[in-house]
Amino acid sequence: MNHNRQSNDGKHDDDSALSDFLASLMDYTPTIPDELVEHYLAKSGFQCPDVRLIRLVAVATQKFVAEVANDALQHCKARQAAVVKDKREKQQKVISFDACF
Amino acid sequence: MSHGDVKSTRDTIKSENQQRLSLGRLKADEFGRAVSKIAVAQICESVGFQGFKESALEALTDILVCYLCDLGRNASFHANLAGRTECNLFDITRALEELEASHGFPSASDIGHCLVGSGTVREIIRFVDSEEEIPFAQPVPKFPIVRNRKLIPSFEHMNEKPPGKHIPTWLPAFPDPHTYIHTPMWNERASDPCADKIEQARQRRKAEKALLQLQQRLVCNGSSGTSTSLATDAEKEKVQGGESNPFLAAPLQPGEKDVSQVVSPAKPTDEASKGDHVSMLEAFAPAIEAMKGGPSDGEKLHLPEKRAAVHFKFRAGKKILGEPLDLSLQKKGDRGTTAFLRIEERDDKKRRAEFILRQTTEFPMELNQS
Repeated sequence: MNHNRQSNDGKHDDDSALSDFLASLMDYTPTIPDELVEHYLAKSGFQCPDVRLIRLVAVATQKFVAEVANDALQHCKARQAAVVKDKREKQQKVISFDACF
Repeated sequence: MSHGDVKSTRDTIKSENQQRLSLGRLKADEFGRAVSKIAVAQICESVGFQGFKESALEALTDILVCYLCDLGRNASFHANLAGRTECNLFDITRALEELEASHGFPSASDIGHCLVGSGTVREIIRFVDSEEEIPFAQPVPKFPIVRNRKLIPSFEHMNEKPPGKHIPTWLPAFPDPHTYIHTPMWNERASDPCADKIEQARQRRKAEKALLQLQQRLVCNGSSGTSTSLATDAEKEKVQGGESNPFLAAPLQPGEKDVSQVVSPAKPTDEASKGDHVSMLEAFAPAIEAMKGGPSDGEKLHLPEKRAAVHFKFRAGKKILGEPLDLSLQKKGDRGTTAFLRIEERDDKKRRAEFILRQTTEFPMELNQS
């Protein structure tokens, strides 16, 4: 019984958090424009009139790409640190193809 | 596997894409990819990068597009699984979980929990809170643009009955029979050979009459100062050439004035050319003197004040050509050339009059055809 009540409370918290988040999404402008997201989602059969869900998808994609870029940056830094340990030169952080994977 | 040393920023990407578009060979989804490239570049910049290699940018753009498509496909699949056509939050959450399953996300191992508390969503919330907002650089129009297609109207629309009972009326109508059946063409105009001949003779008579009138006028011109055929022309010339304008005077007939013959230059030697020049000046000297002394010697030289207007029969609308010749000469300011041109014009007129006379005498039968 206690278990259920706890889970119920948790659910309500999650619910409210989620609804708050969706409301706040309308203020936040993701880097990926809405029109682009709508175009590709329509191509794959995703149908939704709600703008907040479009924004959610945009934010999720942005997070994903940012993660990939971040990992690449770490790779790049590690590579440069290994190379430059003697010269101690500052080099420009450039993302290259192999660092993406 | 690194591409050459091509580093590009956001601005050059746009110009590149514009160049590619201007080539004319548009691949599918060129615009979408271009916009995605800009978005990816902005994200990378926020992460901390200062430049890209072309191939890396292309790869990341591909990743973004594939991720979007995968997410949409999975979400719609889950919605269809639940018997719906429109996706909702839970469909997206399930799709996100599926995509992240290989990497792992918090609460992945929890089974039977409400999707509201899913780890993926929590992570997204955390991402939004931590990251600063970077709006897209350019305004993006709604795409793809839907063009209104012009449809072929149906049988109902055209108020036509379909040619067979098996054809429903809501289908597009058949094309008109004249577009696919070759029918013989008949000349609708009724040809009357008799009337055609009469018309032809009438037109020929008109032409002859005009020529005869012209010839008569030319004959009368030299003998007396003839007035113009139309009163309006006379008035016009009174206004223009009231004070014995030499330009409006009639051309001189041959033999009226002593003019030496024009000597053609035989050889291009200095003496000969000089001689020719001198003789030409001598030749025109009396003419020039006559022009200068024109107003006082009006009687002596028999120059009529009024000039007969010569009407040329041209097609309607070309009024410019109907102007009397002297008016065009008036525009030229050189008196010497005027005299020379008048002599030339006189000869030309004489030739034309002779030609007309010959024609009328040689073909008398055409005149008599009436």
